[in-house]
Amino acid sequence: MNKDLRNLELLSAYLDDELSQSEKAEVEKLLATSLELRKKLEDLKKVKQLANNVKRISESPFFETRLLASIEGQKNESSRIKRWMPAAALAIVTIIVMIVMKYNPRLIDQVWEDQKVAIAGFYKENLQPVLVAANLNNEDIFNFAFNNELPLDDTRKQYLLLGYDDSGKEFFEIRSSHQRVDRGSYNEFISAMNLDDQQKHTVDSIIGSYSKALEAQVLVNEKNTIAINPNLWNLRKAIFADLLVAAEKLNKTKFDRIVPEGITDAEKVVVVNTLTKLKNSSGEQYIFVTPDSIFSEYYKFDPVLANEELKWAEKQIKYNEEKVKEFTLDIKYDSTFKYFADSKNVHSFKIVVDSNVCRVDMPELTIPEVPIPGIATIDPLIEQATNNIHFYAYKIPKIEKSKSEIKIQYFNDDSVYSYVVEYNTLNIDSLVQANSGTDLYNLERLKEVRPFDDTMLIKYQFDRDYYNRYYSDDEFKKEMEELQKELQQLSKDLKNQKVRVHSEVTKSPRK
Amino acid sequence: MISKDKEKDLQQPQLLSIDDDYSIIRQFIEGDKSAFQVLVKRHKDKVRNIIYITMNNSALVDDIAQDVFITVYRNLKFFRFESQFTTWLYRITVNKCKDYLRRINVRKIFSPIEDGYEVSEYSIPVENKDISKIVMDAISKLPAKLRMPLILKDIEGFSYQEISETLNCEMGTVKSRIFRGREKLKEILQPLEKELMV
Repeated sequence: MNKDLRNLELLSAYLDDELSQSEKAEVEKLLATSLELRKKLEDLKKVKQLANNVKRISESPFFETRLLASIEGQKNESSRIKRWMPAAALAIVTIIVMIVMKYNPRLIDQVWEDQKVAIAGFYKENLQPVLVAANLNNEDIFNFAFNNELPLDDTRKQYLLLGYDDSGKEFFEIRSSHQRVDRGSYNEFISAMNLDDQQKHTVDSIIGSYSKALEAQVLVNEKNTIAINPNLWNLRKAIFADLLVAAEKLNKTKFDRIVPEGITDAEKVVVVNTLTKLKNSSGEQYIFVTPDSIFSEYYKFDPVLANEELKWAEKQIKYNEEKVKEFTLDIKYDSTFKYFADSKNVHSFKIVVDSNVCRVDMPELTIPEVPIPGIATIDPLIEQATNNIHFYAYKIPKIEKSKSEIKIQYFNDDSVYSYVVEYNTLNIDSLVQANSGTDLYNLERLKEVRPFDDTMLIKYQFDRDYYNRYYSDDEFKKEMEELQKELQQLSKDLKNQKVRVHSEVTKSPRK
Repeated sequence: MISKDKEKDLQQPQLLSIDDDYSIIRQFIEGDKSAFQVLVKRHKDKVRNIIYITMNNSALVDDIAQDVFITVYRNLKFFRFESQFTTWLYRITVNKCKDYLRRINVRKIFSPIEDGYEVSEYSIPVENKDISKIVMDAISKLPAKLRMPLILKDIEGFSYQEISETLNCEMGTVKSRIFRGREKLKEILQPLEKELMV
C-alpha cells in the first residue's frame, strides 16, 4: 500500500483510538514532525465531529404497538400468506419500487453490476409462455412465421417484431400496435395458395404442432418482462419452411408460382432435420427485456411445470369463480428505454428507441447456430416465397417503365394479364377506351379523359397502400411525382392536339 | 414474566451487557413472548437511527425497522448465543437498508430526466437547512460501502471490531473505508465550509 495512504488511514484510526500501542507511538512520532499530518488530523476531527452531531430521529411512540400488531396479524394469516406469498412479496416490492420511482437516475451501472443476479431473479419470476398469456391462435403463429411478428398480450397493443438488418444481423423490435405494418396474413396465404377448407384445416394442424416448440421461446410476466430465446429466429424460419413444404403438397400448381424453382429434396431434408432439432431443443440463454435493463441470462423454462401451474391456476379460477383477467403488457417506450438509449450501460446490446418502437440489435453469437448444414439455404427461399405470396394474394401488378412505354402485368387466378401502354398512344387509347363507338373528332360529345381516369394510374393508386408498405414515404412520393410529371406531359400533348379544334367549338355566343 | 423493576432496568440500553440480551432471548425461546417486546424497546432507537441516517428518509424508517424486527422475531429461536445479539441485529438492519437502497437505486433509472436537469453529484441546497440536515444529506451521497462504516463509527459509536462483525468484513477494510468515508464526506462538504462554521 502507498505509504502516505497507510499513514492517513492510521491517522483516522488514531482519532478513533483503534490503534495498537506500537501503531499509536508510530503515529505520534509522525505527528510530531509533520505539520501537514497535524492539519490532516484536525480536518478528520472536524468531519468526525460534524457526523457525530447529526440529529437522531425522534421517537416513535407507537412503534412497538404497530410492530406487535403486525406480528400478530401475520401469525393469523400465515396460512393464507404462504399460499399467496410470491404474489404478496411481489406486490410489496412493486409498491416500494413505485414509491421510489421519483428518485433520480444515477450510479446505475455500478448497481447493475452488483445486483445483476438479484434483479435478474426478480424479473424471472412467474414467466409464462406468451402463447398462453396472450392467448395466441393459429393465425398469430402463422403471421409470426410470415410477418416476423408476435403479439405480446391479450389486448394486442404491443408486438414483438423480428428482423434482419442490411448486413443480415438479427434484431428485434417491440412496437406499439399503431406502428404495426400489416404485411400480410394467414388469409393471404390461403388466397395465394387457393386452398379450400379442408386444406386450410391441414395447414392449421401443422401450425398447431408448433405451439409446443414456440411455447418456450417467448416468455412474459406481469412485471413487463419479455424473455426471448434467440432460437426464435431459427424457429420462425423453420415454421415458414415447413409451411412451404406442406404447401407444395397441398397445391403444386399454386406453389410453383410462389417458389418457381421449387424446393429440392436436399432442402426438404434440411427443413425436416431442422424442425426435428428445433422442436426438441431450445437454448437456455434468454434475452430479458425488463423495465430496468436489457440483459442476457441463463433461464431454464420447464414446460411440464408451467403446464401443471397453468392447470392449477385454471382450477383455482374455476373454484373461485373468478373472472379470467386479461393479460396485458405495457412497455413504456420512453421511460423504460430512454435511459438505455442514451447510456453506455447497454450491456452489449445496441438499443435504438423512439416513442413507439424499441429496437434491440442482437449481440454477436447470441443466436445459436443450428448444427445442421444448409439452414442458410432456406433464407433466400423464404424471402422469395414471402414476396410472391404477397404478389399473388394481392394481385399486385408488376410495373416496368421504360422511355417509350409502361408495361403492366398482373395476375388473376392462373392467368397473367399484361398491358403495354406506349407513351405516344396513351391518350388516344384512353380516349378510345372511354369513348368506344364514338367519333373521336366530334369533340362536343367526347367524354373527357382526365389523367386520373387512366387505367394505369387508377391501378397505381389502388395499390398505393401496398406501395406505402414497401417503400418509404419519400420513395413513394418521388415515384408519384415522377409519374405525375409524365402524365402532365401527356395531358399537355393531348391538349396541344386538341387546341385547334377546341378553340373553334368553344366560342360562346356574345350576350 | 419479567418483573416490572427488571423490565425497567433492561430498557436502559446504556446499561446493557451481553448477559442481559442473552437472558431476554432465553426467556423468549422458553415461551415468554413479552420478552420480545423488551428486546424491541431496548434496541429500537439505535436500529431506527441507523436506518434513518442510512436512508436519509424518515418516511421509510418505521417500515424498514418493522421489517428488521419481524425478521428477528421469526429467527430468534435459532439464535446460537455465539456472538452478541446486537451484532446479529445490526447486521440484519444493515442488510435491510442495503436491500431497500438497492431497490431504490434500481428504480432510479425510471424517472425521466427533465430537460436542463443537471445537478452536480455533490450539490446540496443550503437554504433553510440546519447543519445536521446538511451533513445527513452529504452522508447519503456517500457510496453505500463507505456510508455504512462511517455511520456505525461516527454516529453510532461502534468499535472497529463491532463494525467488522456487523458488516461481515475485515478490520483492515473497516479502517480503510472509514478513512475514505471521512475524506469523501469532507470533499462533499467542502463547498459548504462557511455555512458549517456558523
